[in-house]
Amino acid sequence: MSSRPRRRLYDSSSTEGGRNAAKSSARRHKPDYWILILTSLLLVIGLVVVYSISPGLAASLHVSQGYFITKQLIDVGLGLGIFAVAAYLPSSWWWRSAKPLAIVAIVGSLVVMFTPIDAVYQAHRWIRLGGFSFQIAELIKLALLTYMARFLSMQWQAGKIADFKETFQPLLILLIAVGLVVAKFQSDLGSTGVMVAMIVLMVFAVGVPLKKVAMISALVLVLLVLAISSSAYRRERLATFLHPQSNCQGNGYQACQALIAVGSGGIFGLGLGYSVQAYGYLPEASNDSIFAIMAEKFGFIGTVAIVVVYGAFIARLKRIIEHTQDQFKRLLVVGVLAWLSTQMIINIGAMLGLLPLKGITLPLISQGGTSLIFLMAALGLVFQISRYTSYSKSEPETSVRQQSNNYYNPNGRRLGRAHSAPATTRPRT
Amino acid sequence: MTPRESVTPYSSGNSNRRVQIWYGVLMIVIAVFVVRLFYLQIIKHDYYHQQALKDQLKEYSIAAERGVIMAHDRGGVVPIVLNEKLYTLYADPTFVKNPDSDAISLAKITNSQAGNYAKLMKTKNSRYVVLAKRVTPDQKNKIMTLKLSGVGVRAQDYRTYPQGSLAAQLLGFVSDDGKGTYGLEQALNKELTGTSGMLKAITDASGVPLVANRDNLQVAPKDGSDVTLTVDVAIQKQLETILKQGLDKAKSSSGSAVILDPNNGAIKAMANWPTYDPSQYYKVADANLFNNAAVSSPLEIGSAMKVLTAAAALDQGVIKPDTSYSDPGHWLLDGHEITNIEEDGGPGIHSVPEILNLSINTGATWMLMQMGGQTGTVTKTARDKWHDYMVNHYQLGKATGVEQGYESSGTIPDPDNGYALQLTYANTAFGQAMTTTPLQLAAALASVVNGGTYYQPHLVDSYMDSTGKTIAKKPVIIRQGVVSTVVSQQMQSLMEYVLANHHLQPPFTDNYSVGGKTGTAQIANPAGGYYSDKYNGTYLGFVGGDKPQYVIMVRVNQPGVGGYAGTAAAQPIFSTLAHMLIDNFGVVPKS
Repeated sequence: MSSRPRRRLYDSSSTEGGRNAAKSSARRHKPDYWILILTSLLLVIGLVVVYSISPGLAASLHVSQGYFITKQLIDVGLGLGIFAVAAYLPSSWWWRSAKPLAIVAIVGSLVVMFTPIDAVYQAHRWIRLGGFSFQIAELIKLALLTYMARFLSMQWQAGKIADFKETFQPLLILLIAVGLVVAKFQSDLGSTGVMVAMIVLMVFAVGVPLKKVAMISALVLVLLVLAISSSAYRRERLATFLHPQSNCQGNGYQACQALIAVGSGGIFGLGLGYSVQAYGYLPEASNDSIFAIMAEKFGFIGTVAIVVVYGAFIARLKRIIEHTQDQFKRLLVVGVLAWLSTQMIINIGAMLGLLPLKGITLPLISQGGTSLIFLMAALGLVFQISRYTSYSKSEPETSVRQQSNNYYNPNGRRLGRAHSAPATTRPRT
Repeated sequence: MTPRESVTPYSSGNSNRRVQIWYGVLMIVIAVFVVRLFYLQIIKHDYYHQQALKDQLKEYSIAAERGVIMAHDRGGVVPIVLNEKLYTLYADPTFVKNPDSDAISLAKITNSQAGNYAKLMKTKNSRYVVLAKRVTPDQKNKIMTLKLSGVGVRAQDYRTYPQGSLAAQLLGFVSDDGKGTYGLEQALNKELTGTSGMLKAITDASGVPLVANRDNLQVAPKDGSDVTLTVDVAIQKQLETILKQGLDKAKSSSGSAVILDPNNGAIKAMANWPTYDPSQYYKVADANLFNNAAVSSPLEIGSAMKVLTAAAALDQGVIKPDTSYSDPGHWLLDGHEITNIEEDGGPGIHSVPEILNLSINTGATWMLMQMGGQTGTVTKTARDKWHDYMVNHYQLGKATGVEQGYESSGTIPDPDNGYALQLTYANTAFGQAMTTTPLQLAAALASVVNGGTYYQPHLVDSYMDSTGKTIAKKPVIIRQGVVSTVVSQQMQSLMEYVLANHHLQPPFTDNYSVGGKTGTAQIANPAGGYYSDKYNGTYLGFVGGDKPQYVIMVRVNQPGVGGYAGTAAAQPIFSTLAHMLIDNFGVVPKS
C-alpha cells in the first residue's frame, strides 16, 4: 500500500458518502485486517485439503488429475477479486443496489423454476451457462442481506420497528416467499435455513420486540414442519438422523460414513495425504463433506483448531457489529454473521451427527464456486464496514444516525424520525 | 404505539446486548462441537477405527501365473501351451447412463450383438454383468478410449496353443475360472497353478488399493511350475495324422493310439479321434470330446490280451514256447461253450506260437487251465494265479497314475467271488469280460518286452519351478520281475513270429525287431451279453532293434471295413506307425 492512501484514511473529508463528512464521527480508518486474515486462513485450509484429495477424487470420477484443485483455485481467485471490489464499494452503493439485487434474485429464481430439473438432485437449483453452473440460492442470500438491512434500518430509522403493518407483515410475507421459493421449488432446505436465520437474527438484532421475534420463530417452526412433512425425502433424512445406525447401507450411508471419517481421525489424524474416506466412501468429499475429511486427516487437534478459527471469525464479526454505529452497516454485518455461522453450524452439525444432513457447503473451505464467491462478496462488504467502527464510549448516538442518514433518504428528503430520538433519552446498557 | 415509544427502548445498546446473547449461543454451539469432537475422535476412536477398517481394508488374492507346458521336438523343447492376457468386458448397470448407445459402440468394437449388450446393461438389481470375454488388448484399448461410465475391463490369463489342437485331449484346458479341466491341466492343476499371493490393503470404495497407505501388506504370488512333457511333438503330429488316416480307411469314426517308451514308461505320443481345439473349448457341445479316451475309456481288448496270458503262463513255467497240446475246438465251462471266433482254430494239435498267430481262444483258455494244472477246468488256483498276474504283475484293474484327469482303472473280475467264474476267467484269457485302457495295456506290454520291469507310464519329463530350478522326474518302477528276462525274450520272439505271419505292408526288414498281436473284441451290450455284429479292433505291438524301443497300442472303434477288426482296421495303423518310427525317429537297428 502506498503512503498516499494511508494518509487519506485519517482524512475526515474522505469518509464514505462524503456529503455528511463533517458530521461523521466514525471516521474512515484502517479496516479490520483480522477479517482478511481469517478469510485467507480458511481459504488456504480449503485449498490444501482439496489439493490433497484432488488426484484421488479425479481418478475415481475419470476427470483429469488437477480438475478439482484447478477449479478451486479459479473460484478462490474470483472470490478474492470480488472481495477486493466489495471492500472498496461504499455502503451507499449497497444501499442503492439492494432493490436491483432483490429484483435480479427474483428474476433468477423464476428462471431457475423454468429450467429443466437437475437429474441428480431432483431440484431446480442451478442456472447453467456453458461449463459454469450457478446456484441461485447464493445470490438470494446476498440480495436478502442487503434488502433486509435496508428495510430494517429504514423501519428502525422511521421508528416503525415494532409496527405490525409496516414491519411485521412484510417480514412474514418475505419468510413465506423464501420458504416457498427456496425450500419448495429449489428443494434446498439447507439454504432456506441460512436465509431464515439471517432474517430472524437481523430482526432480533435490530431490536424488534421479543414477542414478535417469538411469533416469527413460531411461524418458522410451522413452516419447517410443513417443509419436512411435505417431502418423503426429508422425512427419510429426519428418520435417518434420529436413528443413524439403523440404515448405514441405505439412506444413512453418508451420515454413517461422515462419523466414521471423523471418528477414525483420532487425536492427531491420519495425516494430510492419508485420507481414505474421501475416496468413494464419503460422498461430496471436496464440498459438503469436507469437514469430516479434515477431521480424518487432522484429527481432534486440527479439527478443533478449525472450529476455533470459525469461533474467532464470529468473535471478530461480533466486535464489528458492536462498534458499528450506523444501523444499515451494522445490520449488514449481523446478516453476514448469521450467514456464515448458520451455514457453518448446519454443515458441521451434520458431519458430527448432531443435525440432519443438508446439502450445504462449509463456508470458505468447501469447494463450491457460487457459495464461495457470494460469501466473499459479503465479507468484502464487512471489510469495508470495518473501516468505520467507532471505539469511543462517549460517541453520541445521534451523530451516528446523522452521519449516515444521507442514504436513508436518497432523494435528499430527510426522515424526521432520525432527529427525534435524542441520545439522552436512550439508556445505555 | 407511538413511533417514539417504539424507538426508545430498543436502542442500539440494547440490541448490542441481543447480539451478545446470540454470540454467547454461538460460542456454546462451538463448545458443543468441541465436546462432540472429543467424544467421536478420542473416546469413540477405536470403535470408528474398526468401522473404517471393516469397509476400507480388503484382502485380495494376487493370481500366480500358470505354468506353461512344453514338449520335446526332436533335440529341443518347444512350448505347446502358453499364457495370453485377455480381458473380460463387464458393466455395472447402476452406473451405465446410455445403455442403448453404449451397447452399439461396444458391439462395434467386439463384433457382437448390440441388442444383447443393451439388455445386459439394463439388468436390474445387479452391479456386475459380463458383456464379453476374451477381449483382445487391441479391442480393450479402443473400449477404454470411449470412457463409458459403468463399463470396465478385467485382465485375465488365458491359455494359448501354438500347436493348435495338437494333443488336445492329453493337455485338457483351463476353464474361465482358472481351473485346469481334463487331461494334464486337471491332473497337474496344483503344480501349474502355483500359490496365489495376497494383498491386504486399504482401498477406495471401488476396491482399488490406495498406494499411500502405510498398513498395506503384500505377499508375492508363487507362479506355477513350467512342465516339460515326455511327448515328442513330431511323433505326436505323425501319430495324429496316421491315426486319422487309418480310421478313415477303416471307416471308423473314433479311435485312440499310444506310443510308449518301454524302457522308462515315458509316453511319446497319445492321441484320440475325434478331437477339438482347446483354445475354443467353450464351443464344444459334446463333453465326451474332452475325454482322453486312451486313459479314460476302458474297453474289452480282445485277443491282443493273449500275449499277456502267454507271458504269464511262460513265466509260471507251465508251458514252454514250443509246447504243443491237443485242442478240442471248444471248452464247456459253467454250461457255456468257449469257441473260436477268429481265424482258424479247429480241433487238433496246436502249439503256443499258433495260439497267438491263429488267435485261438480255446488255446488261450488252455494256457489259463495250465496255470491251475488241470486241462478242462479253470481251477481256483488258475484263476488266482492269472488274477495275480493281471493285477499285480501287469497292474491292470488299477489306475496307472499317469498325469491325466479322469483316468479310468478298468475292471478285472474277482477270481473267487461271482457267477460263472470258470467261464468268466476263460474269457479274460482272450481279453473279454474285463476292461483295460489302451494305456494300461501298452504299459503292461512294455513291462513284458523290456525284460520284466513295469515302469509307471508318465507324461512329465521335468518341472521348472518359479525360481527357475529344474526338477527332472525320474521314471518310477512299480514292479520288477513282471516276467523273467527269459520269458521277455521269448515273448518278443513269439510276437515277431505272429507279426511276420501276418504279412504287414510294407514289410519290415530283418534289421528291426517288430512284433505284435491283433485283437477283435466283441462289444458288451449294456442290456446283457455282446452285440453280434459290433467289434472293436485293437493292436498291441512293439518296434525296436536289439531291444524294443517303442510300444504301440492302437484302438479302432467299430470299424466299417470287412474282415476281422484287429487285422483289417488296427493292424495297418500299427504298421504305418512302426514304419514312421523306424524311418524318422531313430529306432536303432539290430547290431
